[in-house]
Amino acid sequence: MTTTRRNLFKFVGGGAMGALLTPAPWRLITDTALWSENWPGIPRPARGEITTRFTHCTLCPAGCAVRARCVAGQPVSLTGVNPHPISRGALCPWGIAGHQLPYHPARVRQGPMREAIAAIERAIRKRSAGERVAVLDLRPGRTVSWTYRRAMAALDGGLYVTPPQSAYAIDLAAAKTVVSFGAPLFDGWGTPGNVFAARTNFRLIQVEPVESRSAALADIWLPIRPGTEAVIALALAGEIAVAEAARVTGVDEKTLGAAKEAMAGGPVLALAADPASPLMNWNAKLGALGHTVVARRESPVPDTWKKAAPATQMAAATDGTIRVLLIDESLPGGYIPWSEIAPKLAPDAVVVAFTSSSEGYARHAQCALPTAVYPETAEDVGPAIDTVAAVFRISTPLIAAVVPVVNPGQFVSRIAGLPPSDALRERADVIHKAGSGMLIGYADGKSTPVKAVTADDFWKTLNQGGCWMDSTGKQTLPGKLEFTASAEPAQDELPLTVVATEPRRGGLESTLLSKLERESNLRLSADRVALSPVDARAGGIENGARCVFETARGRLSVAAMIDAAVPVGVVEVAGGPRVADLCGANGRARVVRA
Amino acid sequence: MIGGKIAFASGMLLALAGGWIAFPRILYRTRPQPVDFSHKIHAEKAGAKCEDCHAFRDDGTYAGIPTLDRCTSCHAAAMGATAEEKSFIDNYVTPNREPQWLSYARQPENVYFSHVAHVKLGKVKCERCHGNEGGSANLRPFQVDPISGYSRDIWGRPVNRIALRNEGGMKMDDCVDCHRRQGLEYSCLGCHK
Repeated sequence: MTTTRRNLFKFVGGGAMGALLTPAPWRLITDTALWSENWPGIPRPARGEITTRFTHCTLCPAGCAVRARCVAGQPVSLTGVNPHPISRGALCPWGIAGHQLPYHPARVRQGPMREAIAAIERAIRKRSAGERVAVLDLRPGRTVSWTYRRAMAALDGGLYVTPPQSAYAIDLAAAKTVVSFGAPLFDGWGTPGNVFAARTNFRLIQVEPVESRSAALADIWLPIRPGTEAVIALALAGEIAVAEAARVTGVDEKTLGAAKEAMAGGPVLALAADPASPLMNWNAKLGALGHTVVARRESPVPDTWKKAAPATQMAAATDGTIRVLLIDESLPGGYIPWSEIAPKLAPDAVVVAFTSSSEGYARHAQCALPTAVYPETAEDVGPAIDTVAAVFRISTPLIAAVVPVVNPGQFVSRIAGLPPSDALRERADVIHKAGSGMLIGYADGKSTPVKAVTADDFWKTLNQGGCWMDSTGKQTLPGKLEFTASAEPAQDELPLTVVATEPRRGGLESTLLSKLERESNLRLSADRVALSPVDARAGGIENGARCVFETARGRLSVAAMIDAAVPVGVVEVAGGPRVADLCGANGRARVVRA
Repeated sequence: MIGGKIAFASGMLLALAGGWIAFPRILYRTRPQPVDFSHKIHAEKAGAKCEDCHAFRDDGTYAGIPTLDRCTSCHAAAMGATAEEKSFIDNYVTPNREPQWLSYARQPENVYFSHVAHVKLGKVKCERCHGNEGGSANLRPFQVDPISGYSRDIWGRPVNRIALRNEGGMKMDDCVDCHRRQGLEYSCLGCHK
């Protein structure tokens, strides 16, 4: 056989054919894919001893108990804790991915701490009579909230400000019918495990313009025209005719009649998306006060703390008087639109935000100081809206802070000249001394009367996996519910009603939710709005087109999605600080092509 | 014409030989275990069971390969006269140095596997996944694929995986196959938490 060019090609061809009939190329494809997963620079979890630790989630006021599987001390997966009497072993998607938040790329990683202290001290020294130092606490009810209140009491002209708070708690298990006016009952309201445990015992009537997740899971969904919630309440209370209400609200008369009949089955509870909404006043007429709407209970505090400054609302502050504003945005919580804060500030006010995210008040503050994020935080979790008994639970850090952080409580104490103290331990000791309630340990699931444990063991269990829960006792009335609606001027030139369908807590987005938003579009992300086909056609807007979302307060560049499920006259947005700043309480907007 | 066919066939044969015989031999790097441990001697002479050394902790987590303190509970001093035991005592027990065992069954970092769920609840035998390791007189050399970084046992002994018949390997396909055949649930988040 002679060696020719043709034969050489045939040899190579035969070789290629033969190679395809062996495992080699196929195996190399797999191996190369695996190799690419281990390139340098790709983070690899540590190897080491596998341990279990417990803490409490601080990402929302629910404060669910968390079991962390740790490898070499690093949490690698989070699950719920079954013995916990309120969270009942459940965690939301945000909580499940919480251990990844410290490494979030959008985290605030540095801030001018010394400059902030110097600016604050200078402003306090030079402030004129009547000018105030204020702390805005977005998550009141924590032990650090008491520290702020004590600090503001110690400062001349100190003011402790919170978002509108409810002085009531909701006993969902006692309700037979729940009329929800847009409350995201199954999508962020209350404690997930508690809500779903009570779900089998109540009928849910969801009153909401759009088919949210709670509406989809409701027994009856009343798809109203935006802004007609009060008419539904009047119809369900029998104060106006069902036919008239159906005409005004756009709800089918038969469905509205069925909802009214459903209310006859037992204790009725009314819930609103905003806990301070006037719609909550309806509970007095429903006879819910003292039964399903009860007084919120707080765990005991040392007597010396009780001389602290009272909680006030931002609206109560005099315009132009706040010289120093310290905003604790370290945990996701309520949000007051900046347009309501700005008028209260003195002309040369110093605003400092303690935050982990650049999305919220960091946009308006002169200094944004980085804080610990869950699960780096060491603090307690305030009571949730559906927690009837007083509870005390501590979020024990699972890891040390991965960036240099400021402790807001210590920072404010230093500004006010409070002596350093371990406020959590002081409060735990007072609870222990009171001697009521049970200590629930998560590792063994046992409940022990507080009287049967020593103060040191009580503290140890609280830090290593456990919570204190007071006995429920006799329910007390929460006091009168007299909320009033905020007056928002009509804006005829803005044709669309803004409906925030995705409850967002602000702060860093969950890595799990960002996948749902960015990659699958299953949830509305912060830079998208959804319009009905009718409104989109009227504005000449195509699906996915870049648009300007415009309100009386400003503009935001967004992508428009056309969704036939969105009612005509409505623009759906994801909530959050930017949208709250733009829309205020009763948002009107227009969406135009960019 | 005939010369062309011969060239084609010889190229094909060469590739087939390379792919089926040479490739598996050059794919894996072999590393020795630190100690030539005999499961057989421990099982037969000491009457040890798998779970005596490969134990579950009180909280249900699996301890995996035993650490030195487990070995020294019996071998604080030599119990026999073998060279392997003497070497183990001299190199690890006396200097109190942990042997760096090479795990045949180490899963990648993105996999969560619960031994307690499979062994205690599912009653799966150790041999089902690990083979008859407990009857071996010597530890097999540890073979690792330097490209992927995985042990040969993860892929399965045969490089083509054809001969496995669902009885070897610890790849995701193997887990899914077993769950599917037994009508058990499986989902992404079950293992990739």
